[in-house]
Amino acid sequence: MRELVLDCLRAVRAPLTAILLTLALGFVLVSAIADDPVRAYRDLLLANFDSLGNFALFLNRATPLTLIALGVIFSFRAGIFNVGGEGQLYAGAIATTIVGVTFTSLPALLLFPLALIAGILAGALLGWIPAVLKVRFAVDEVVTTLMLNIIVLLFTSYLANQVIRDPTSYGAVSRVLPEAIWLPALPGMRGATSGIVIAVVLACLTWVVLFRTEWGAQLRAAGTNLRFARSVGIPADRRIITAMLIAGGFGGLAGTLYVLGIGHRFEQNFSPDYGLVGLTCALLARIHPIGALATAIFYAMMINGSAYMQISTDVPRSLVDLLTGLLVLLMTARLTRKGQRA
Amino acid sequence: MNDQDEILKLSAIAKMFGDKAALKHVDIRVRRGEVHVICGENGAGKSTLMNILAGIHQPDAGTINLNGKDVTIADPIAASRLGIGMVHQHFALVPSMSVAENVFLGRHPRRFGLFSDRHAMVERTRELIDRYGFGLDPETPVRNLSVGQRQRVEILKALAFDAELLILDEPTAVLTPPEVDELIEVIAGLRQRGRTILFITHKLREVKAVSDRVTVIRHGESISTYPTATVSEADIARDMVGRNVFLVGRGNEGRPRDFGAPVLSLNNVSVTDASGRLLLNDVSFAVRAGEIVGIAGVDGNGQTELAEAIVGLIDIQAGTIELAGKDITTATVPVRQQAGMGFVPEDRLDRGLSVTMSIAENLAASNYQRAGLESHGLVVKSRCTAFAEEKIAEFDVRGARPAMPVGWLSGGNMQKVVIARELNRDPALLVICQPTRGLDIGAAEFIYARIMAAADRGRAVLLISSELSEIFALSDRIGVMYSGQLLDMLERTRADEVTIGALMNGARIEAA
Repeated sequence: MRELVLDCLRAVRAPLTAILLTLALGFVLVSAIADDPVRAYRDLLLANFDSLGNFALFLNRATPLTLIALGVIFSFRAGIFNVGGEGQLYAGAIATTIVGVTFTSLPALLLFPLALIAGILAGALLGWIPAVLKVRFAVDEVVTTLMLNIIVLLFTSYLANQVIRDPTSYGAVSRVLPEAIWLPALPGMRGATSGIVIAVVLACLTWVVLFRTEWGAQLRAAGTNLRFARSVGIPADRRIITAMLIAGGFGGLAGTLYVLGIGHRFEQNFSPDYGLVGLTCALLARIHPIGALATAIFYAMMINGSAYMQISTDVPRSLVDLLTGLLVLLMTARLTRKGQRA
Repeated sequence: MNDQDEILKLSAIAKMFGDKAALKHVDIRVRRGEVHVICGENGAGKSTLMNILAGIHQPDAGTINLNGKDVTIADPIAASRLGIGMVHQHFALVPSMSVAENVFLGRHPRRFGLFSDRHAMVERTRELIDRYGFGLDPETPVRNLSVGQRQRVEILKALAFDAELLILDEPTAVLTPPEVDELIEVIAGLRQRGRTILFITHKLREVKAVSDRVTVIRHGESISTYPTATVSEADIARDMVGRNVFLVGRGNEGRPRDFGAPVLSLNNVSVTDASGRLLLNDVSFAVRAGEIVGIAGVDGNGQTELAEAIVGLIDIQAGTIELAGKDITTATVPVRQQAGMGFVPEDRLDRGLSVTMSIAENLAASNYQRAGLESHGLVVKSRCTAFAEEKIAEFDVRGARPAMPVGWLSGGNMQKVVIARELNRDPALLVICQPTRGLDIGAAEFIYARIMAAADRGRAVLLISSELSEIFALSDRIGVMYSGQLLDMLERTRADEVTIGALMNGARIEAA
């Protein structure tokens, strides 16, 4: 247990330092443009904790980000540059919704797992396609995952508009899922998804699987040196495909939990680019699951907090983009002392 | 001795990395126009010393005196301005560019100070090539060159900068024996033209062949400097290791051996590449229990494919392979390893290790079950660390800690990690390629002992090496690969270097 804590501390230290530096630099910028910089900053970071309602919204944003980041971590650790998070997220969301609004006659006890599994499988399928193309035919996974994103986004748009559309509401939204299969809210916190608990548990589980099982070691070996992995007898191709199945499954689960726990229906524009932001979270955490949990929480705080900041002060929401850029810069720059061995 | 003819004087150089002393006290004097060899074991500090001269590292103490002046070499650019040219072990060439473009990379001659003057560039390169007799075409793309030729391009780069003092860091580690001979000629030519050459190596044969004087470094200290002509290989080896070294091989013992049943049998194995070219042509042989079979040959004659076909990394197009009587022709690598195969690949960076992963994880990679590193399906970190510490001690891996990335080790110590991992499973068949490439004599002695011990325990060993002395020292039978064919398989007692050498060049022996 102690080693887990130590390892996690090490993992969190780097992103935490960068985050603090970003906030400090960002404050200088805000001071230059805002009448009340302290207020702006307070809102950006702390308005999330002003009311239970705000806090719930914040948690609801952290959940999909964490799950997508975890999926990205699996694929990157296996050496696959998976940028298909957004597509996997949408695939999971739409599959869950279709099952949920189609088989409404089934008892909830059956429908809930069915909808959950459908979402995970849809995401996994989206991870499996590029993985097999990569392993069998050496097709570049960046291209395939990126292209699949577009296919899935357009296809879900068609489904939402034409097939499962709720004719009584405005916009591209599906019918609402039966309330019996909604994911319960966190106890004592209306509107906050309990999906966050699942995300935190899965982050810990991911750490254990990647760093404390032989399977995880084999996966990382395949990711760091494929030719080495093959020659020490690791079935590297199988590991890569499984890693991508899991990565896609995590993306799908993010979408599923959104539908079951937050939206309760499919909305065409439900994601403010969770796929890309989740990828960023994973990379900023140097593809470490516990670090990614921290970065995802931080991003969710900023994304959610920027709305309150914009309402109450004269600082525009796009400050978040600026801070994001700063953070990426500070995280990717590694400070080295002169004369140190590279 | 007068100071005038000394181009470089290093006095009391010391360098620490963290709390580890890479160099403690090094004094070296290099005379103008000589070939001076720096000799030492892996991890003795040779490369650190050279990196200090090339401006990559700064010494913590001591002085560098160049041409009678004390100098500070701040960075590689400063080094080349001072006339120090460095040729690294791993080349920094752009494969798609021509020889001339590589030589003048980043400093093309300009026309009107604007456009690069390709014509002048090619002509100046051709001039350099002709002057030193390098036998290269300035307009060939580097990707079409052999390793030996690429190295000459690297040397040209240094010469184009008018390097007075040329440093070659283990230049022969990547070369085949004939290429080594060519390099030795190139160096002799450079010396005739008045260049001073500092040559780093740990191969004693090269010390004798190439140098005027030799300085031995051990554990970060300069131990001795000799004129090469008056010193024996044994003396240099003793100074390098700090004790007397004997490279004892099986061949020297001369007692007859009894071998068991065949562990590995290849029957008419052929491998073709995508374009249909035969890489392995109808190869058949067997390795019996307790036997070491050596496969000699100039690199690139099918040895790599032979090893990879046996361990299952490439498919074979014809023939069968049997391991302990079972057909494994189509078995996957993990199945073959489970069935008792161990594999030490020829290139540790390519297939042998994952350099960014820790030493502990590299050692554990195929040993989780056998070494009992797991409990309830989870890897127990403390057991992995203990296992790594045990192997580090057993194989004397210098400068190693279990959690350190394996890529931080020197080449020879990396090799020990690979061999430690593969031998831990005590495989019935060990396929071992170039086991001591880049290793110093002390490490080689140790690895030879481990290979022979495996054979004495009744394991079958297939040794693939382009180092003839190694083949002769270890093998019970010797085969020679030439352009994909296994030419002959001779008993150790019936083979001599002349016969094998002729076979390596493709000569069939008359029915003997």
